[in-house]
Order: sequence, then C-alpha cells, then structure tokens
Amino acid sequence: MFLPQDTQRQTITDLSIDVDSCEKFMITDDSFKNKKLYGKITEPHSTFAVRISGTAEAGLDIFEEYTDYPFGAILLKAQTDLTKPGEKLLQYHKELGVHGLESAYDKALYIMRTLPDVFSYNPGSTEIHETAENAFTLGKGVCQDYAHIMLSLLRMEHIPARYVVGMMLGEGSSHAWVEALCNGYWYGFDPTNNKLVNDEYIRVSCGRDSSDCSIIRGSFYGYGVQKQSESVTVEEIN
Amino acid sequence: MDELIRNSETINRLLARYGVKFGIYKNGEFKEQLFPFDPIPRVIKHDEFIYLEKGLKQRVDALNCFLSDIYGRKQIVKDGIIPEEFIFSAKGFLAPCDGVAPPKNIYSHISGIDLVQSKDDSWYILEDNLRVPSGASYPMIARELQRRSAPDVFSDNSVVDNRNYAELLKEVMDNVNTGGINVILSPGRYNAAFFEHSYLAEQTGAVLTTGKDIVCEGDNLYYIDYNGRKQRVGAVYRRISDEYLDPMTFYEESVIGIPHIFEAYRKGNVALLNAPGNGVADDKGIYYFVPKMIKYYLGEDAILMNAPTYLPYYEEDMNYVLSHFDDLVIKDVAEAGGYGVVFGNSLTAEKKADFIALLKSQPRRFIAQEVIDFYDLDILDENGGLVARKADLRAFVLTGSTTKVWPSGLTRFSRNPDSFIVNSSQGGGFKDTWVLSR
Repeated sequence: MFLPQDTQRQTITDLSIDVDSCEKFMITDDSFKNKKLYGKITEPHSTFAVRISGTAEAGLDIFEEYTDYPFGAILLKAQTDLTKPGEKLLQYHKELGVHGLESAYDKALYIMRTLPDVFSYNPGSTEIHETAENAFTLGKGVCQDYAHIMLSLLRMEHIPARYVVGMMLGEGSSHAWVEALCNGYWYGFDPTNNKLVNDEYIRVSCGRDSSDCSIIRGSFYGYGVQKQSESVTVEEIN
Repeated sequence: MDELIRNSETINRLLARYGVKFGIYKNGEFKEQLFPFDPIPRVIKHDEFIYLEKGLKQRVDALNCFLSDIYGRKQIVKDGIIPEEFIFSAKGFLAPCDGVAPPKNIYSHISGIDLVQSKDDSWYILEDNLRVPSGASYPMIARELQRRSAPDVFSDNSVVDNRNYAELLKEVMDNVNTGGINVILSPGRYNAAFFEHSYLAEQTGAVLTTGKDIVCEGDNLYYIDYNGRKQRVGAVYRRISDEYLDPMTFYEESVIGIPHIFEAYRKGNVALLNAPGNGVADDKGIYYFVPKMIKYYLGEDAILMNAPTYLPYYEEDMNYVLSHFDDLVIKDVAEAGGYGVVFGNSLTAEKKADFIALLKSQPRRFIAQEVIDFYDLDILDENGGLVARKADLRAFVLTGSTTKVWPSGLTRFSRNPDSFIVNSSQGGGFKDTWVLSR
C-alpha cells in the first residue's frame, strides 16, 4: 500500500506505521514516485491490519512543479484499458466544444465544469474496476469513475494526466481525483465535487488509472475467502 | 546423409523417450505432443552465416538500445522517429519498468529472431522474440542424438559444432549475475516448453525451480534447497511471462510468480533474463520501425531486411493495403504464435468486408505484409520419399558482454503442404540446422 509523502502542496510529519504481525516491512519508490509499503507474513493468520497515522500540512501551494526530465510525462498521455474511450465518450468529446480553448488548464477546467451535466454521483452502480466508457454510458458512478472519465477526455486532448488517490476532510473512505499537466505544473481537479484541489485534500499516490494505485494489493497461499475494508479519518487540527 | 535418414525413426523414438515434447492448449485443454524431427538438415553456408550473424547482432544491439531508451529518456519518440501511440499504449509497455535499469543495461539477453529465406535466396526478418523465446533445446538434443548415431557425418561435412549453447547461456547469466546462483524459473510441468526448461537447467548447471522454493527477503532473492539452506540468487532465467512474474506488481491473481521479485530487480539485487517490459520492442507494430531504430541508434543501415510491411496507421499505407488486400497477409499486432494471421485472399467477400471495417476502425492494431514466397525445404514423408515444405529459421542471439549468434538454430517446417505457418504451437515439425565452417 502507499504512504502519503511530502510534495509542494503538503508536508507530512509524525508518520506512524503499524502493521500487524509483519516480520519486516520495506518502503520503496515506484515508477510513479509513490512511496510503497510492502512486506509479507509467513505465520498462519486469519486477519491482518495496517494502521497509518500522521499529520499533514496541506494547501501549501495550488500546484506542483513538474521536475521529471522533459518528456517523461508522455506515457501519461496514453489511454489505458480503463480510460480508453468507446463510441459514447468519443461522441461526447467531439461535441464538447473543448477544442477551441487554448491552454491545457482551461481545457481541464472546462471538462470538469461540464461533467456534472452528464454524470451524477451514485454509489453502487459501477464495478470496482469499471471502464470510463461503461461508467459514462451508465451516467452515474463514484469518484473513481469521475476521475477515469476526466482522464479519458484530457488524454483525448493530448494532455498528460494522472489518477490520484488521497483523502479529504470529512470523508469515511479514500477519495480519487485527477491531476493534469498544464504548462509545466500539475494542477489537481476533483471532478466528483467539481472543484479545484485545495487544502482539504491530502494526496497519497498517483498512476495512469485506478489499477496503478489500489489502496492495497497482495496475495496469499491457502484456502478461504478474504474480505477487505478501509476506514479513513481526517480531522482538522487548527 | 543416408545414415541420418536411416536413423530417423530411432531418433524420433529416442526424442519421445527423453520427453522432447511440446505442450499445446487447445480449447482450454492441455495436450502434449511430440515435436516431430525431420532428419534432413537445413544447411547454411559459411559466408551466408557470417552475413546473418552480422545482421542479427546489429538488430539485437539496436533493440537493446531501444528498450533502454524507452524505459529511460524516450529520445526516439521525442525525435519523432516512432509515434508515441505505438509505444505507451502498447500492451507490451509496462509502466512499472519505467525508469528501472537492468544490470549492465541489458534487456534482451536471449533473443529469438525468426527469419525466412525467399525463393530468390534473400533472407527476411519475420519477427523478433525478446520475451521468452523458446526452442533452442530441440536442435540441441536432436544434434546430440544424431552425433551418437552417425558421428562422422558432422566432421566429414565440416559442420560447426553447436554444443556450446549451454556455455553461451551460462556466460550470459554470469555476466549479469549480481552475486549468487543462477536459477531457471519455470511455471512447471504443464508449460508448453517444460522439457526445455529442465534440459537447459541440466546443461547450464542452473537450478531448476518453479518458484515455490524462492523467497524474497529484504529486497534480496533466495533459493531454499531441500535441506532448508538459503542461497542468494543472482540471476533468474525466467521462463514465465511478465504478467505472471510478480503478483505484487503485475497480474495480482498469479500463483506462479514470486511476490516482490520486482522490488529486488528494481533495486538491482537480481538480474532477470529477459528483462520485464521487453514486449514493447517485439510487438508486430514496432517491427516496422526496427530498420529506423538501427539507423537511429547505431548510425548504420540495416543489414537484414524486414519483409515489406505496411502500417495502416499511415494513410498512405492504408490506401495501399485496401487496394492490394488480396495480395497481403494481415497480422494482429497483439497476437503471437501464428494466431491472428489473416491472408487477404483467403476471406469470403462478406468476411473481407467485415475485416476491412475492423481495420479502418482500429488501424493501429494491424500490420500488413507482402506474402513472401518462402524457399521450400525437403522433408521426408511417411513413405521415405521427399516432399517440399515451407520452413523458417529461429536464430538464437545471446547478449552477454558482447552479442553472439549461436551457430545453429531452430528450423521449423509446416507439415501441411498449403500452410505458410510454421509455429510449433500450430503442429509443425523441426530440423537440425547446420552451419558450415567453410
């Protein structure tokens, strides 16, 4: 799973990591520069939990400067299996009127502002790894679907864009939004709430789509079914 | 030569006894079948081999440069030589490999390059296999058995000794080994090429494992032997595909992979042969660009030619493909092993219209090639007579401290007289490949 880390927007302090019965865990950077926590448990067990807590100072900046080598973001222009548009999205994009706009930022803002006209929030209507096209056709979904649809549209406009997982003040679970590379800076757009990412958001990880930044993944030997739950609490301290 | 033909039956019987088999999945069922051996060798003259060797080394070196570039600074895309659509949305491009450099920067250690010879004797590259190319063990063991049955034939005909494959392979593993033993990682008994995995392990002295006895601890890889002793692993010649390699990074449901092996690799603590992510370079769409790559990275003209190929992605090529549809063979870039290959003239009018519609809606998905009239090779039929069949050659190119071409190869032929498809998964047979020393 991923750990929140310092960016231009936020600093993380007092990070505490508590993993049940794990002999040794490791932390690494993945190719999207996320901080990944991983390990294994060799003893038989029926449950295990990971608790991460800390303090975040958020909203330090409204953007994050692009510091990778020039051109490194090109792979974020490519559609993935989840964001690849089908007939419906292609048609929507054609009629959206986004082509006339000049800057990547204006386009991203326009895409976000117009999305609520055709898509509404409705938990339980889409699957865990639903494609943007399917969700769009359905017309309703959750934050992940909003993000995938927005990514699909941004990439149709050849704007490098990434899926972001994080937390928001006052939510019971994790949240997802989008970052678009505009003129050398990553700007955060939250299409679900139709607003720009500000100091209410704590960023955890990013990737090409949701499958690159699942909250937790793993495998086990043995029989049995598994059930997974997550809980997020974000409180303001001052 | 008569001696070889006389012994043919015995050799096939021995091959069966040694378990030289090829597994095929058909309709979800696993079937193992013998890989029929034909005693008449393909003969490559000395000068011809020198030419092939030069061209193959050049090609594989350029492909290695390409992989290093794509997972590094991506200059070839930046310079507009290859459109980004052919790379970053390709199935073979693996984002987790971005920015990860393998030991000594070698991506394709063992490359299987498929060639055909046309009737006018020119050689063409058919495809590159840079992931887990199989097949070297078949000519190895067939030659071994033939040597036993007719030892003089090889010296009398000045055939280059090809018993060095295991030695070359070991050198390739040792070259990138990060400190520890070499292992061959096989998905197990039900894999199509399991015979080969066990044979190569035996020949190179590497440990054959199915991954159950490999663990990753503290970003290092260890092999646990039957005494429970832990030995560090420095190089893994893995014969399982990228998707299944590590459930923590790739396909999560994989049970044949090793959890966290990718982290050990990312930190440079183990070499993986071949490197994960190579699929971006042996895609049929990228094939079109290999001669351009050779020019771009090495500043040389390609020595070996591609089969004339069109990319419907380019409008000009699309027009050509539509107007010459019946003369071309169309290939789905995502498929391998002879699947997804359509000969334009074999379609009914209705199917053709459907196919053209598909081609127009997904031009990036296909390439079209002129049908090459292969040079036929004689094979022995059931009655001991000679019949001509289509055949190709898989050359094995090994990259250690330098790139070398194994002076042999796998010659596959189609048993069906009308078929151009020679892949072993489609039920063909194989021959020994002789390279002459003069």
